[in-house]
Amino acid sequence: MSERKIGVYTCGGCGIADALDMDQLEAAAKEQKAGFCKSHDCLCSDEGVALIAADVAAGEVTHPIVAACSPRVMEDKFRFDGVETIRANLREMVVWSHPANDEDTQMLGDDQVRMAIAQAKKSMPPEPWTEGAFSETVLVVGGGYVGLTAALEAAAAGHQAILVERSDALGGMSAKWSKVMPHLPPYRDPQENPVAGLIAKVEASDKITVMTDTIVTKTNGMPGKFEVELTRAGTPSAETVGAIVVATGWRPYDATKLGHLGYGASPDVVTNVELEGLLGDGPVARKSDGKAVKTVAFVQCAGSRDPAHLPYCSSVCCGTSIKHAIQMVDADPEVMAYIIFDELRTPGTAEEFYRSAQEKGVIFVKGKVEKVDGDLTVTYHDALLGDDIPMAGLDMVVLATGMVPNSTNVEAPALELEDEKLVPLKDDINPAAPIAVAGYKEGVDAPEAPARPEPSMPEGAPILNLQYRQGPHIPMLADGFADSHYICFPYETRRSGIYTCGPVRRPMDMGEAGQDAAGAVLKAIQAIRNVKQGKGLHPRSGDLSYPKIDLNACTKCRRCTVECPFGAIDEREDDYPQVNPSRCRRCGTCMGACPVRTISFDNYSVAMINDMAKAVEIPDEFDEKPRVLILACRNDAYPALDMAGIQRETYSAMVRVIPVRCLGSVSMLNASDALSTGYDGVILMGCKSGDDYQCHFVKGSGLATERMGKIEETLKSMMLEKERVQTMEVSIADSKKVGKLIDDFVATIDEIGLNPFKGF
Amino acid sequence: MSKKYTYYPGCSSEGSGSHLDISLRAIAPKLGVELEDLNDWNCCGASVTHVEAGALPTAALSARNLANAQKQGNAEVVTSCAACYLKTHQTNEKVRDKPGFKDKINEALGAAGMSYDGELHVRHACEVIVNDVGLDKVREQVTKPLTGLKVAPYVGCQTVRPFAGTDRGGEYDTYDDPEFLDDFIEACGAEAVEYDAKTACCGGAVSLMSPDKTLGLMKKILDEAKEKQADVIATPCPLCQQNVEMYQAQVNEKFGTDHNIPVVFYSQLMAVAFGMDPDKDGCLDRNTISADVVKQKAGG
Amino acid sequence: MTAPLPESNGKKYDLGFARWVYENVDGGDKLSMCMQCGACSGSCPIGTEMDHGPRKLFMMIRAGMKEDVLKSNTMFNCTSCYNCVVRCPRKVPVTYILQDLGRVAQRLGYAEAKETDNARFAKAFFWSTRKFGRTDERLFSAKYYLSFGVGEAIKMAKANMPVARSLMKAKRMHLGMPHKIKGVKELNAILDKAEEIEKREQGV
Repeated sequence: MSERKIGVYTCGGCGIADALDMDQLEAAAKEQKAGFCKSHDCLCSDEGVALIAADVAAGEVTHPIVAACSPRVMEDKFRFDGVETIRANLREMVVWSHPANDEDTQMLGDDQVRMAIAQAKKSMPPEPWTEGAFSETVLVVGGGYVGLTAALEAAAAGHQAILVERSDALGGMSAKWSKVMPHLPPYRDPQENPVAGLIAKVEASDKITVMTDTIVTKTNGMPGKFEVELTRAGTPSAETVGAIVVATGWRPYDATKLGHLGYGASPDVVTNVELEGLLGDGPVARKSDGKAVKTVAFVQCAGSRDPAHLPYCSSVCCGTSIKHAIQMVDADPEVMAYIIFDELRTPGTAEEFYRSAQEKGVIFVKGKVEKVDGDLTVTYHDALLGDDIPMAGLDMVVLATGMVPNSTNVEAPALELEDEKLVPLKDDINPAAPIAVAGYKEGVDAPEAPARPEPSMPEGAPILNLQYRQGPHIPMLADGFADSHYICFPYETRRSGIYTCGPVRRPMDMGEAGQDAAGAVLKAIQAIRNVKQGKGLHPRSGDLSYPKIDLNACTKCRRCTVECPFGAIDEREDDYPQVNPSRCRRCGTCMGACPVRTISFDNYSVAMINDMAKAVEIPDEFDEKPRVLILACRNDAYPALDMAGIQRETYSAMVRVIPVRCLGSVSMLNASDALSTGYDGVILMGCKSGDDYQCHFVKGSGLATERMGKIEETLKSMMLEKERVQTMEVSIADSKKVGKLIDDFVATIDEIGLNPFKGF
Repeated sequence: MSKKYTYYPGCSSEGSGSHLDISLRAIAPKLGVELEDLNDWNCCGASVTHVEAGALPTAALSARNLANAQKQGNAEVVTSCAACYLKTHQTNEKVRDKPGFKDKINEALGAAGMSYDGELHVRHACEVIVNDVGLDKVREQVTKPLTGLKVAPYVGCQTVRPFAGTDRGGEYDTYDDPEFLDDFIEACGAEAVEYDAKTACCGGAVSLMSPDKTLGLMKKILDEAKEKQADVIATPCPLCQQNVEMYQAQVNEKFGTDHNIPVVFYSQLMAVAFGMDPDKDGCLDRNTISADVVKQKAGG
Repeated sequence: MTAPLPESNGKKYDLGFARWVYENVDGGDKLSMCMQCGACSGSCPIGTEMDHGPRKLFMMIRAGMKEDVLKSNTMFNCTSCYNCVVRCPRKVPVTYILQDLGRVAQRLGYAEAKETDNARFAKAFFWSTRKFGRTDERLFSAKYYLSFGVGEAIKMAKANMPVARSLMKAKRMHLGMPHKIKGVKELNAILDKAEEIEKREQGV
């Protein structure tokens, strides 16, 4: 761009002109040296848009500033090719949330225009990173039901797929199942196992390369350019792939640890997986003497939801026992099948399956099994009857054991790893932290979250052996499951371009896992197609900017390489940071981490935020008007403020809000500079951090909290009170609450008194 | 134009519930309903005999009645008593729907050379009035509207439960908040009060055998009527009528209340409102707690 | 499928009892659908008089507590209001099951069952049914009172006197010879046969 031409377009619609003096806005724009300022009654009308478009086409403006509604709305209308549109939020954050024709409201409006102009002065249209060749192949790791489905889905979408399986045959765990839980209406009877059919389809596909007896021994590179080393019988081969889908599945919980439930005491105490091997067309013959089983008890939650074993619910064991009971009763109607459950969990259509079993006479008993004796007597505690009840005379006891995720390859030895490569596994999010019990009203104490075992390092070798600065493992969310957020970002791991699906991500049955495979493959394809054009991935999907590091200023402190939530930055041999642009999610956490402000984006930088803050006119101390800077996360906090305006919630007009990509991108210098230029306080408003985080970039808000914890020292050296800087957690649903948070903060400032640095 | 039904009056018609039987027979012709008595009808077993006799012999009681009704030729059997309706209807359903049951019941009937094919339709008199007669016809017959009479519509249990809401029960009302009795009362020109105890249980046969256990249930029914300032409670069920009327003294004694509310049948209200003899046809002289208030309001 | 009730040999918990109830008690085929929600017990007007509400009784059946179930008074306090039946979300015919369980307890000779008011009342009631083909309110009441012994019967009759008198006055008590149907013999033949079939079915 040859010459920066800034033009301001003020909009009088939606009540703006009724509440603000438009001429004064124009004066503020002029004073900030905007090239021109034009006003319109309704900028988003065809006429208003045409006004700007004409100036853009004529080369009159390179940075049109739309001073109207929130940047979160009308994005399409105000997007013009080749120029960088900047927005000044006069509607939601000024006239809808503050009194009309008020001196303070007007000052707020003027400052919004000033800040936008400051932003325009620093912002450049981003240049995408598209160096070199990009692969469109999808690598699928794991050849079970989920992996087979994933490979077929990728092929169906027109992509080449490489399907890697550790064992000598495709099919995985589920290949052994006699029948499977129903996933088709009417969901009442066990269905035929689909795995053999999938294997045939995969083998017939010309788009899928199958490699059995193979593991991934190294993964390098980034989305679009992953360099993987595949090793078959000790012989490595190299492949380049665009994205990786991890479908390594699960293994049953080790039943030898379930001695209290009779495992090992009698050959007729078997696990649900072992029972699969005994099921055939006819009645089940028990192991000890070959006798046909006439009475059988299924012990649910065998080792599950038990802090001493698996602290979580595997969600499929109830359905599995229902399937087994139905199979046994169907084969021999005289069979009496008891299912002893604490809480029967039959999500979705499994409820129909449950009813079907009830109709077939399967007996469901609510109770907690205390012990199983060698003579097959099952003793359970019945909470309703308030008694321990022995169930004697059984022919067989089946332990419904749970799923352990294959987030590592337990068949290969673990790697020796230095501590800092374990940080993403242990410390970013504590995988053993209690998960809060949700759904309780304010004022009602939720029951304590169940205890969980101490975090331990996963046994076995890494699945992909990532050659990343942050270590070879795919980070885990909880209990060893490889995921980043079940609800908000399904399939997303904290390693861009690598997607997990099926039971390695969370326990699930085949019906869900099939859909999961399709979902993960779609994510993988999205990644492949985005990175090819230099576009960012979720949640800043389509963002063309990426971090640029001025190595001349870099001190090799390594904070950016350590703190990146996605492991996007590696270290070169000479210890300088090396950005892998397509791994980057564009959150700016590296920018916030850098103590020398040498990391920036084309349209986002520490300096830009500082300039915006400084563009605000700070009244002198005799005016007794404090100014508070709010750095608000664009994902939740900023929308919450917008919504407060939409709902006409009012709050102090002393605040000036600058949206940031993530609190992780906020530098401590942004806060200290603001205070040194006369702001009376700074609020960092972002998402919930911690083990049950809601941060869209996983740990950005957590890092911000940590960094601001350290700002106290700085404040002390400036002789300022620590209360002047606060981090606040605001969720997208907090629109009714956010105003009060602000007002309370401003009241605190009033109490402490104004910043003595004013006017320095 | 009238329609002929086989009528099964039930045992209470010969004693404690005679006023239901007499008043129903009195109003039937006015509503175009021709009642032909079921030949040599026997007891249905009510909610009692199953404990002594078992499920199948109890059903056999109804089966004999149905077999006789089948010979009689009318397609529909009408009952006025809630228990008779429930038991007869239940057996009829089982014969029709429950696999193997028809054979068993016919084996039993065979001991007396009888049989039943399950083709009859068993109905409650109230359902016949709702679905066959229609409220308009009821209103047409009213010559002495019961203006100003506040009536608590007490439906009870078995008249609507469990069959009223099913197509086999004629779909004439719901089992949790039936409206038909309110409609009957309003059709007679009286006022049906908002009555929360409408389908509360009076204790049924348990009240007869161990009233101590159920006086509290009857108290609720009476208290609610009093609170709503009802002059009279109306019901379609002979056992409800008997319990709620007969045990008032004992309720008062046990709970220190002073209830003295007449309990009448809907058919008694209709007979009076239709301008018939309040005692001879309306049987008001058969109420042990004076129901003369109905007479007083009639035509007023 | 029907079978004799399994011998429990003094065991408190009988593995086969639930299945036996499912297969042999009237309505029991639907009992397997019970999901223990408690709508039945919550709907019961007379639950306070019961040893166990229907939900708990059904849980006891599943636990195999045959003795406790058959000795319970739950079945005999049921007023047959059918509230539980219409409210059960799983369409379990609770009333039918209770009624027949009461009968099972009676047939198996449980003293607790035989001595309930309900059992005595039913005995007197059915006596009238068999003897006359109809219920004679006056005679069966007397017979019910007498089941408690002559002394008790006189007390009960006396207590009931005011009611009896008022009913008589209101022409609502039948006096004189009982109404008797023509087909008493035929009715008894049918009932005998039905009892025989039921015994055969239940393997008694």
